[in-house]
Amino acid sequence: MGTILVFVAGVLFLAGILFIKPRAKCELMWKTVLNWSLYVVWYAITWIGISFVYINFNVGHVKATSTAIFLFLGISVVLAIALARLLGFIGVKKISNTTVQV
Amino acid sequence: MEEKGEQKHKFEMSRRNFLRAGATATALGVIGAIKAPVKVANAAVPSNVKFSAGAAGQWSKLHPEPDYGGATVRYAENNDQWLGTSKIVGTVKNISEADMGFALAARGLISDKAQRGFFNFVPKHPFGGAISWARTWIASEDAVDGQPAPEKLPIPDPEQMSQHIKDAAYFLRADEVGIGKMPPYAYYSHKIINPALLVHNPVEQCVKPFTERLPYVIVVMVDQHLETMLASTGYDGISASQSMRSYHATGNIAIILAKYIRSLGYHARAHHAANYGAVMGPCILASGLGELTRTGDCALHPRLGFRHKVAAVTTDLPLVPDKPIDFGLQDFCRVCGKCADNCPSGAITHDKDPVEHNGYLRWNTDMKKCTEFRVANEEGSSCGRCMKVCPWNSKENSWFHQAGLFIGSHGETSSKFLKSIDDMFGYGTEQIEKYKWWLEWPELYKVAPGLPPNPAAPPATSK
Repeated sequence: MGTILVFVAGVLFLAGILFIKPRAKCELMWKTVLNWSLYVVWYAITWIGISFVYINFNVGHVKATSTAIFLFLGISVVLAIALARLLGFIGVKKISNTTVQV
Repeated sequence: MEEKGEQKHKFEMSRRNFLRAGATATALGVIGAIKAPVKVANAAVPSNVKFSAGAAGQWSKLHPEPDYGGATVRYAENNDQWLGTSKIVGTVKNISEADMGFALAARGLISDKAQRGFFNFVPKHPFGGAISWARTWIASEDAVDGQPAPEKLPIPDPEQMSQHIKDAAYFLRADEVGIGKMPPYAYYSHKIINPALLVHNPVEQCVKPFTERLPYVIVVMVDQHLETMLASTGYDGISASQSMRSYHATGNIAIILAKYIRSLGYHARAHHAANYGAVMGPCILASGLGELTRTGDCALHPRLGFRHKVAAVTTDLPLVPDKPIDFGLQDFCRVCGKCADNCPSGAITHDKDPVEHNGYLRWNTDMKKCTEFRVANEEGSSCGRCMKVCPWNSKENSWFHQAGLFIGSHGETSSKFLKSIDDMFGYGTEQIEKYKWWLEWPELYKVAPGLPPNPAAPPATSK
């Protein structure tokens, strides 16, 4: 199961790169770097959390499992929202049917 | 001429190729240098033992590197001022086995209840009693000691022999093994002839001098079983069985190693929980297997914590001793204190720093309180609550616990951080029911009503 999770994590990481690539590049270099950095940090935190919860749940550490779900899921959601906002997936004002403004 | 020119052209080398060739030659040289010690070492091996040595400096062939579970480990000293991270501040006297905690209980110097409790605190749980009974079969002087073979067999040089002895211990199912320079003060001055004698007779009649002094000590360590510890309160029915499991296992390994070494023509004596001639704490430190903890004389291994028991073999077999280790445990214990917070007898000190005890510094744990609780515990059999709750002990092998040990071995600030994380995730104080495999008989956990008869007294004659 651990090997499968590592494989899934790798595949999803690459898929994520392809998915955000069109929106990650900005005119300002620091914004581009921020987008990619945030993506890497968010992805790492999410999978650290998944791995932590998976191992603790299997061993039977109840408090560690529940605490980790709140802690890592919470951080992951906050980072995901920030990233989605920066990439323009959420929080954009529609000015017409065909164009979006970030 | 044209052909000659072509040939000359063939042997010309561009700058890039020249650098490539140089890099390749350097790499081959480095590989050769790394491999060379093995060849040099092998040259010292008598050909008839058919032994190919591991690389110089390797821990053993089966375990090329010692497993410290993520902790950052540095080497420390074994001299007249330090034994690892334990500071020697005076003369460390050889102590008598009759002055150790359980012997004090047997002598009635702790309390009446403790004296009676000493004689049934393990066998009152049938499983613990069964393992302890098996332990007694390897306790005789014939089992632990004997004369070496009259002729010495050919053996490899001391470094290779050290690797071989470690592998022999791993083969015999030791979880960890180390070799140390035997501190002379680690030997008992006197050892007990029979604990039951202590109840009825003056202590001088119950002990005999222990005079052996050999230069090296091999320490073998066996885990007390993680899952069982995770399911236990630390002081229920299985507690003594956990100790006995590892005492029995290490005792078996030690007597086999000692017999093997004697067969090679060298002196060797096994020391295990049913027949000690030495105190194990300093042997563990000298062998590079741990540091002293807040609990007093318990030594903690970086990977196993102090969820272990050890046995030892003292010997004059030519060996290369390992160095004591330092992984920041003194800083950790100074700021943690989780064992003291959770000790059911209140025996473990909350003091910030160690104090002098018999010429060395250690935390001022009350051995009598600890012993009394363990032998007179009526909720179970013995106690290992400190072992259960210690952040270094209560973990399965996983990347984040390895990361935790890394953090815990880097000074007081990071130790505080690790302790906070440990508390936040509830490690150590939980009981994981799915691992509770043993049976409990609370009605059996009462302290024995009486004391055993005097073994020295003549047997009663029937009319």
